[in-house]
Amino acid sequence: MKRKSLGFYFRIYRKILAQDLKSKMSYRADFIISTIGMIFTNVAGFISFWILFQNFPSINGWGYYEMLFLYGFSLIALTPVQCFFDNNWNLRMRVYSGDFIKYCFRPINLFFYFQSEVFDIKGIGQFLFGLGTLIYSWNMLGLGFSALMLLKMIVFLISASLVMIALQNAAASACFWMQNSFFVLDFINKMKDYAKYPVTIFSSIFRFIFTFVIPIAFIAYYPSLVILRPDEVPLLSWLSPIVALVFFFLSYKLWMFGAMKYNGTGA
Amino acid sequence: MSNIIEIKNITKEFKVLNRREGLKGSLKDLFSRDYKIVRAVDNISMNITQGEIVGYLGPNGAGKSTTIKMMTGILEPTSGEILVDGCIPYKNRTRNAQNIGVVFGQRTQLWWALPLVESFKILKDIYGVTDKDYKDMLELYQSLVDIEPLLHKPVRQMSLGQRTLSDILAAFLHNPKIVFLDEPTIGLDVSMKAKIRTLIHALNKEKNTTVILTTHDMGDVDALCRRIVIIDKGKMLYDNDIEHLKGFFGYYRTLKIRVSGSLSETAEKIAAEFPEFSVSANDEWISVLVDEAKSTVMDVLSQLQKTYKIRDMQLEEISTEEVIKKIYEEGVK
Ligand SMILES: Nc1ncnc2c1ncn2[C@@H]1O[C@H](COP(=O)(O)OP(=O)(O)O)[C@@H](O)[C@H]1O
Ligand SMILES: [Mg+2]
Repeated sequence: MKRKSLGFYFRIYRKILAQDLKSKMSYRADFIISTIGMIFTNVAGFISFWILFQNFPSINGWGYYEMLFLYGFSLIALTPVQCFFDNNWNLRMRVYSGDFIKYCFRPINLFFYFQSEVFDIKGIGQFLFGLGTLIYSWNMLGLGFSALMLLKMIVFLISASLVMIALQNAAASACFWMQNSFFVLDFINKMKDYAKYPVTIFSSIFRFIFTFVIPIAFIAYYPSLVILRPDEVPLLSWLSPIVALVFFFLSYKLWMFGAMKYNGTGA
Repeated sequence: MSNIIEIKNITKEFKVLNRREGLKGSLKDLFSRDYKIVRAVDNISMNITQGEIVGYLGPNGAGKSTTIKMMTGILEPTSGEILVDGCIPYKNRTRNAQNIGVVFGQRTQLWWALPLVESFKILKDIYGVTDKDYKDMLELYQSLVDIEPLLHKPVRQMSLGQRTLSDILAAFLHNPKIVFLDEPTIGLDVSMKAKIRTLIHALNKEKNTTVILTTHDMGDVDALCRRIVIIDKGKMLYDNDIEHLKGFFGYYRTLKIRVSGSLSETAEKIAAEFPEFSVSANDEWISVLVDEAKSTVMDVLSQLQKTYKIRDMQLEEISTEEVIKKIYEEGVK
């Protein structure tokens, strides 16, 4: 059988997504409540950010609007993981109960099939909120605008999202090797809260960790420097698309390897 | 006739980790070498031809699901060879998946939130079923069961029986060469069981689909399969026609009755009346294990009715465990 094309997967995803949204909308109360919840989460996040800045007008040479830019950037970069890869949170239970096996009987990519099952609509609010924040701070910083900047922005946002997706894949796949693996995913998820700060405010140990071990600095800090401080872009920023691709690929391989291994020996 | 499935001396062993408690334990488990070996399938061989319905029988933990998992390609045999439609399943998992349909009883593979028909449409795309074949298949389904009320119902609102029925229909949808049904009737009531058996029978007839049916319910086998394969503790005990098995020790059914009056006293009287059958009593029920080669359950029942006032009755198929016990005792091959 020939390999299924990207177009094939795209069509399948669209179909599942459309059906899923339709069925979610039909539970209207549920839908409204989760939308309101989503707005509150974002507003609360913003307020705590704002309060912080009432006390420290500038952190390590980073002004309010620059910080806001990072904040918006990170919110957008964290959207795809929320929308498209949320099923990673269910992986552990599926594996534990043995239900994971059901994903293995289809003639399509296992990772795709598993992730396609859940689309988390809450991510969209986060995206809009992030976009608003980004445009506002962009404007206030007077960064100017050009097609090239927009292109850079898109490329670096995509690589930033890939880093978070990769982190989550890797963390989720821990359940293939150990029981009680929830803390791994939970830990990574908490780590992402630090992504919205410039990595320079941390001590050198954490700077190293956030760059090379749990590379959350690639979720907002390194990529946004390209737009924010075009005169002093470090090499790591330019490398972030490659880092993202490699990291994503490795996390995907790890996830698939774990899935195969689990079938062979698992619970 | 050519074999659609060929299995030669397959064995599957699992390495089971002796797990430790707690967070520290689960970290230690990552590096642990503290294994024990479980042999789930032990040197099994069989050939299956296109269009057969094979009853794969055995008590819990016998190794039935493990065998199925090897045939579907999600497990690699520890040793031995396995060919499904000419290819090695675990080396060609996705290709093999196109050729087969799988139902693991009680674990739906359908989209939980979607109405059945939407699941069908997605499956149609995944398997590349043509519009015409899809339409024909739905018409066939319509003629076999009343699917209209199911089609627009989200799977999560279905009863277990409806869900199993839907899963079976979904497994046949792309007209696969082989359908594996792992305990499809487990936990279902009598009428749903009958409905599902009829459906499987009709689909096999109509499409000449090979069906491998795993069960520990003799009723399923009796209704559907000419050939049965019995395994226990991973080892093959029997592979032959069901008639052949019946020929060896008759066909047993348990007649259970509830009568007015003293339980043990009546049981003793019945035992004296039918010395050829074993009679036992517990929980208000008197059980008579009837060998239908000697006389039918109906004869026994009408005989009993003449003497006793029967308040309630039940009929039970002989259990797999009893069959296996008999095979061990009497050595049927
Ligand atoms: N993934 C696994 N890891 C370890 N042991 C397993 C695994 N799967 C099955 N077993 C063991 O193998 C034996 C056969 O199991 P199974 O094939 O599920 O039996 P059945 O389907 O006949 O009830 C059981 O003892 C079971 O505990
Ligand atoms: Mg089983």
